[in-house]
Amino acid sequence: MKTKLEKVYMAVIFLFMYAPIVTLIVLSFNASKSRARWGGFTLQWYVRLFHDSEVINAMANTLLIALISTVAATIIGTLTCVALMGLRKKTRTIIMGITNIPMINADIVTGISLMLLFRVLHFQTGFVTVLLAHITFNIPYVMLSVMPRMKTLNPDVYNAARDLGAEPFYAFRKTVLPDLMPAVTAGALMAFTMSIDDFIITYFTKGSGFDTLSTKIYNEVKRGIQPEIYALSAIIFALVLALLILRAKIRQRAALPAKKKAALYRKEAHTRTKVIAGVCAAGAAILIAGMAFGGVFSTRGNKLFVYNAGEYIDPDVIDEFEQETGIEVVYDEFESNEIMYAKLAQDSAAYDVVCPSDYMIEKMISEDMLQPLDWDCLPLSRENIGEQYYRTAQQFDPGNRYAVPYFWGTIGILYNRKMVSDPVDSWNILWNPKYKGQILMQDSIRDAFMVALMKDGFDPNTTDQEEIDEATQDLIDQEPLVQAYVVDQVRDKMIGNEAALGVIYSGEATFTLRENPDLAYVIPKEGSNVWLDCWVITKHARNKKAALQWIDFLSREDIALKNFEFITYSTPNIRAQEAIEDPMIRNSKAIFPDADTLARCRTYSYLGKEGDEQYSEAWKKVKSGG
Amino acid sequence: MSPEEPGWRWDLNRKELIRLEHISKSFDGQMILDDLNLVIHENEFVTLLGPSGCGKTTTLRIIGGFEHPDSGRVIFDGEDITNLAPNRRQLNTVFQKYALFTHMDIAENIAFGLKIQNKPEDYINDKIRYALKLVNLEGYEHRMPDSLSGGQQQRIAIARAIVCEPKVLLLDEPLGALDLKLRQEMQYELIRLKNELGITFIYVTHDQEEALTMSDHIVVMNQGYIQQEGSPEKIYNEPENAFVADFIGDSNIIPATMVRDRLVRILGAEFACVDTGFGTEKPVDVVIRPEDVELVKPEEGTLSGKVTEVIFKGVHYEMSVMAGGFEWLVHSTKLSESGTDVGIRVDPFNIQVMNRPESEDEEAIGVDV
Repeated sequence: MKTKLEKVYMAVIFLFMYAPIVTLIVLSFNASKSRARWGGFTLQWYVRLFHDSEVINAMANTLLIALISTVAATIIGTLTCVALMGLRKKTRTIIMGITNIPMINADIVTGISLMLLFRVLHFQTGFVTVLLAHITFNIPYVMLSVMPRMKTLNPDVYNAARDLGAEPFYAFRKTVLPDLMPAVTAGALMAFTMSIDDFIITYFTKGSGFDTLSTKIYNEVKRGIQPEIYALSAIIFALVLALLILRAKIRQRAALPAKKKAALYRKEAHTRTKVIAGVCAAGAAILIAGMAFGGVFSTRGNKLFVYNAGEYIDPDVIDEFEQETGIEVVYDEFESNEIMYAKLAQDSAAYDVVCPSDYMIEKMISEDMLQPLDWDCLPLSRENIGEQYYRTAQQFDPGNRYAVPYFWGTIGILYNRKMVSDPVDSWNILWNPKYKGQILMQDSIRDAFMVALMKDGFDPNTTDQEEIDEATQDLIDQEPLVQAYVVDQVRDKMIGNEAALGVIYSGEATFTLRENPDLAYVIPKEGSNVWLDCWVITKHARNKKAALQWIDFLSREDIALKNFEFITYSTPNIRAQEAIEDPMIRNSKAIFPDADTLARCRTYSYLGKEGDEQYSEAWKKVKSGG
Repeated sequence: MSPEEPGWRWDLNRKELIRLEHISKSFDGQMILDDLNLVIHENEFVTLLGPSGCGKTTTLRIIGGFEHPDSGRVIFDGEDITNLAPNRRQLNTVFQKYALFTHMDIAENIAFGLKIQNKPEDYINDKIRYALKLVNLEGYEHRMPDSLSGGQQQRIAIARAIVCEPKVLLLDEPLGALDLKLRQEMQYELIRLKNELGITFIYVTHDQEEALTMSDHIVVMNQGYIQQEGSPEKIYNEPENAFVADFIGDSNIIPATMVRDRLVRILGAEFACVDTGFGTEKPVDVVIRPEDVELVKPEEGTLSGKVTEVIFKGVHYEMSVMAGGFEWLVHSTKLSESGTDVGIRVDPFNIQVMNRPESEDEEAIGVDV
């Protein structure tokens, strides 16, 4: 009985620990993009992954950093241990304590302090700074592994070698190092794993135009995780697992009885040489590939620093721009408007051209962070972008002085025609008790309040406390009907017929319509939110000319079309819209609502600190059920 | 002392090999060696003997080059080698815990020094065979060190050291980790080796019996000072101070008064002795070895007392005798039962008279007044 219970307990523990990883690996082979449906087995995500030059580049960076930092940290760490052994025990304990602190220290503190140090020293952030950071945080791990082994060694073994005529380094290499080797290898593998694994410290020290796998994946998350990332994560998991197994093997070997060890040692001496040669060769190959991809060798002077949201451009477009203009693009992605803002507030000249959302543009204009556009240099943007979009842009950029629309979208109701019998044309349907437990709401303050405020006929940017209170009460009343407040699960749940109605972004809606033909998207008659992302040029841009070229290039019909097909959000480029082949999409009311509907929609504006607090307070009430 | 005395093995023409001049060394502010002077001659088996912390191992490591003296010089064969790295000194060391290279087999261990000297392979192989034969471990070439017993490992460590043909072999308590039986075997082995090789051995131990068994010359050390040096017989029979007497074998150390030359008053009774030059009515210490105390009938003894305890030790009986208010330790093959009244007699040659130190410092230095 007891053992049975124990087994069940173990099973539950393992389930908890490994269910997420198993899910991830299974999904990486799922032919359907949806997380809710199994569309058959496929390797396409893996294939696509390896066709994505940015991912390959990030992978090369990751391995290169891991490899070099591991080698450097292993050498430095081991030598430090050797040096420490020569010190008095008390001094040694103190120094070990000091070297252990960075390991206990929060990564974020290490990351920020390194970033500050590099800034103070005027280091150009990028490959070198990330490498230095990784070497820094890897050294303690090597020492942690080597030091205990070092202490068990008989110092007279080294003395014996010296006594027999060996010079210091020869004696160390021949007698101490072989005894230390299991610990050194284990330390090196630990360092390698930590390096591949690291996100936070890398993130703070990488600067612009450089990504490792972890920062790359993080960037992708913003626009909904693509299945390629599952594939990538599965590969990283496999790699780390392999390293852990290797490390365990080495430990096991160290624990073997001497005789067996000797036999193994002999037998493998030959293979080992080969393996070391192989690793070196692979390292060199990765190094060269990384340099080629990373453009370490490039010395072109005409550079354009672009800062865009993740997954927000067809990578081919960047290549085409570079080829046509000869301008080198240093391309970086941000995760949210707030992060982009923080970065520019810190270093106003970091990027030439940026793509923020409406409310953020308003804020940046008010803080004098942008420069007016020279419209004479933007003929395609004037010509191809629809007038109605410039009009929408006036809500945050009066006089259209700063921003060229790039992509836009709305929020609306996605519903299942088989599950909803009433006509869906108003936000009111989300308060209909008939659909109790079938409604999905966005788990976002502004979006949730927008729904309630619009239903009541108020401005979604209101700061009138009475109006907010009324909307708050509405949301509280609605709560029993709501199945869940979610972010990007709306699309999965709707595709999987798990809910009847959901508040969703138009871009996501377009994708769900293709996956499940029973779904329909509607912008309610009361109006909704429209969001508009635009290209703007920073106040202190170093390459203003190239920035204008970049904006106008993106407004070109064929380029805008290419981006539209890649991103699937609504394009403000009328010529591009007209050129869409599929009439279902070209004429889709969901993607391209008519001008009247659009006129009813409002962009969010920046509410200021007080406004934000008003809404946060109200949201707390909603979440706690009144 | 005269050369006719038993145990005198010194060759008057012996050549000086190592000279330590005014060596001082301290660790962390603690004085380990203080102005040490020592001469070691060619082809001697010299033992540095003393309790732990007396500075004997430090002295050896300074000769080997693993420690650097704070002051003073090390002269080897007429040359100052004080600042010479250990790998450039013509001597080899056998370490306390063997210090074999665990990832190399026995042959590789022994060949280590020869390979550094770039000796030809045939020469190396011959040397390995020769060395293994010398230490009675033929056929062990391809064993790994971990698979050998402690005694075998120690012999490999010796083999490894001697193939380099050093002029001096330094041995740092090489038998310390072995059990008693093995230790005795190895002692004879070392004496044999020393005779076969004809080189100088400098041996460090805290075991006085080991020192007495093997050495030509013993240097007794305590608290960083040399207390006494000489042949084993001289050290045993004529300890110069209470420390040496106490450290080397069992002994009765008794406060006494030198009445005049050749007469000493011990516990109120006057004993004839052979020592002169201490003055008259001078407080001294006398050393009398337990086997030198004769138990006779009460009326025949210089001092009378009573046997209080008897322990059978195999070769002899160990007895405690209360006489003159002092508990005497007596070794004898003749049994005197507990409770018997006895008399104590000591041959004049067996009474060793020593100056009594007047301060602790003096006691440590062991000054000869």
